[in-house]
Amino acid sequence: MSLSRRRLLGGLSAIGAASVAGIQILSGVRGSSSTGELLPSRRALPEPFTLPFRVPPVLSPVRSDATGDHYRVTQRAATAEILPGVRTPIWGYEGQFPGPTIRSVRGRRTVVTHRNELPVPVVVHLHGGHTPATEDGFPTDLLYPAGWTGAHEPMDGVMTHGSRDYAYPMAQPSATLWYHDHRMDFTGPAVWRGLAGFHLITDPAEASLALPSGDRDLPIMIADRSFDADGSLLYPSLDPTLLHTPGVREPYGSGVLGDVILVNGVPWPITEVPAARHRLRLLNASNARRYRLALDPPAPLVQIGADNGLLESPIRHDAIEIAPAQRFDVVVDFGRFRPGDVVTLRNEFGDRTTTPVMRFRVRPADGPDPSRIPDRPAAAPAPAGPVAVTRDLRFRHGTVNGMPGWTINGEPFDPGRAVAAPRLGDTEIWRLSSDFHHPIHLHLASFRVLSRGIAGPGAYDHGPKDTIDLRPAEQASILVRFTDHPGRYVFHCHNLEHEDMGMMGVFAVR
Amino acid sequence: MRVYGGRVHRWTRWPLRITASVAALLLFDQAVYAGQFLAGTFPALHTHRENATFAGIAVLVAGAAAALVRWPGRGPVWPLFAFLGLFGLIAAQIALGFLRILALHIPLGVLIILGGLLLAAWSWRYRPAGEPS
Ligand SMILES: [Cu+2]
Repeated sequence: MSLSRRRLLGGLSAIGAASVAGIQILSGVRGSSSTGELLPSRRALPEPFTLPFRVPPVLSPVRSDATGDHYRVTQRAATAEILPGVRTPIWGYEGQFPGPTIRSVRGRRTVVTHRNELPVPVVVHLHGGHTPATEDGFPTDLLYPAGWTGAHEPMDGVMTHGSRDYAYPMAQPSATLWYHDHRMDFTGPAVWRGLAGFHLITDPAEASLALPSGDRDLPIMIADRSFDADGSLLYPSLDPTLLHTPGVREPYGSGVLGDVILVNGVPWPITEVPAARHRLRLLNASNARRYRLALDPPAPLVQIGADNGLLESPIRHDAIEIAPAQRFDVVVDFGRFRPGDVVTLRNEFGDRTTTPVMRFRVRPADGPDPSRIPDRPAAAPAPAGPVAVTRDLRFRHGTVNGMPGWTINGEPFDPGRAVAAPRLGDTEIWRLSSDFHHPIHLHLASFRVLSRGIAGPGAYDHGPKDTIDLRPAEQASILVRFTDHPGRYVFHCHNLEHEDMGMMGVFAVR
Repeated sequence: MRVYGGRVHRWTRWPLRITASVAALLLFDQAVYAGQFLAGTFPALHTHRENATFAGIAVLVAGAAAALVRWPGRGPVWPLFAFLGLFGLIAAQIALGFLRILALHIPLGVLIILGGLLLAAWSWRYRPAGEPS
C-alpha cells in the first residue's frame, strides 16, 4: 500500500470517527428536562382543548366558631370521568380529584377532620404550611381506616384509626398551599391516584392590592397521568395494593412521567375568559415532570407570588420553569387580546402530547377591569439573623436496602434518625447538591434561595420558597429560618418516586 | 526536514516547556475540580470557575512562549496557532459552562485537556534543527 493511500485511508478514518463522535454528542446535547421515564397510555386519548376547564369546588366549613373554622374530609375510593365516557377509579378527598379547595383566612385556626375510608393507611400533609409537628403529617403518623384488620407496621409514629383532626394555626402569610398524601414509601402512587387538593390562605388585609379575585382567581393544578386500556390510571407499582412492597418496577425508579396533561383533573381543558387580568395559581402536582410554561401567542406571565407567599416586587417572565410541588402565582392580562382570540398555555419542555396544557378563549369583558398588578405585593422579609450552622446535603442516586434507590448524604430515609437538629429560631444555610433533577422540599420552614451554581438566585428562585428545583449536577444554597414550631419534620425530594425510594430526611427542631 | 537558516536560539525551548507544562496541569485540574464538585464538595464549583480563568491565561502565556520559539528561535510557527486555537476553545468552554450545556461542556473539556497535554509533550520532544537529538 502506498504511503499516500495509507494517509488517505487514515484521514478518512479520522473524519469518520470524528463524525460518529459528533453525532453522538449532538444527539444528546439537550439533555433531559425531567428525570423520569415516560409511561405510555394504552388507549386512545382525547383531543386537546375539547373538554371544559373546571375549578375544584371550595369546601364549606361544617362549623365556624371561636376555635376556628372546622372542615370535614372523607378520603375514599370513587370513580371519575377523566376521559370522556370512561369511569376511572380514583382515590380522592371527598372522592374527588383534585380534592375540594380549602380556603383559610390568615390568622384563623383551621381544623380539618380527615376520615379514612380507603383500603390503606393515609397521612395528610399540608404542603407549605407552618404547622405544629403533630399536625404536619409525618410520614409514619398513620391514620388507619376504621375497622382496619390488617397489620400495623411497627413504625416510629403516632397511630390513629378512622378519623383524626389536623389543626392548622394559619399564622402565616397568604399563599397557595396544597394538601396531599404523605405516607412513607407510598406517596407517589397515592398522589397519582388522586390524593391532592388546593389549600389557599387568604389575607383580608391584601384586598387593597386589588389583585384579580373571584372567578378571575384560578387555581391551576397541573399533573401528568397515564391510562390503561380500561381507562384506569396506570402506575408501575411493585405492589398494587400499596400495602407491602414499596417502589416501582424498572425503568421507572427515576420517576414516572405520564403522557396526559391534566389541569384540575381534566385533560388539556379549554375555558372562556373575559378580556381582563386573571390570577393563575400554577401548581405542579406531577410526580416527576417539570414544565416550562409559556403562552402562545406570547404574553407575559407576571409573577406575584412564589411557593410560600407573595413577592416583594412582581417579576415579568416570558416562560416559567416549574418543578414538582412548586407554585407560581402569576397575573395574565387577557385584556391585551381581542375577543375571540385563542391563547394556549404550552409546556416548552413537552413532546407530542405533553406540550399542550390548556387553552383560553377570550370573550369581551363585562365591564372595566378593577384589578391591577401591585408594585409591592408583599413587604420585604425581615433581615435574617446570624447564620448558626451551614450544612451540606447531597442528593444522589444510591443503594437502598440492596436495591437502586435515592439517598441524602449517602443515607436512605430513616424516620428515627435526624439528619439535622436546628434550634428553634435559628437561621441556617443549607448547601444542596444534586446528581439528577431533584426538587427539594422542606416542611415547616420557608426559605430564600441565596445562590444557584456560581451565581445568585435563578429567575424562578425569587420570593419565599418551600421547594427548590435542583437540576442535574447543580448546587444551590438556601437560607432557612426554623421558626414557629419545634419538633420532628421531614425534608425530601418531591420527585415522588425518589421520595418513596429513600430520598427523605428528618430534621428535629429543638 | 526543513532546515532553518541562521542562529538557533536554543534557550527559547525552555519558556515553552515550562509554560506549556503549567498550562497542561491547570487544564487537567479542571477535571479534578469538576470531579470534586460532582462528588459533593460544595466549594469545588467555585474553584473550577476560578481555575478556568487561570488555565486560559496560562494557555495565552504558553502561546507567547511559542511565539519566542519562532521569533527569534526560528522554530515552527504552528505551536503558536495551536495555543491560540486552544484559547479560543477555552473561551467557548467557559461560555458553555455558564450556560450549563453540559452535554457539550464535558466532551469539549476532554478535547481541550488532550490538546494541552499533547502540546506540552511536544514542547519536551522538540529539538531545534541541527541539534543532535
Ligand atoms: Cu429526586
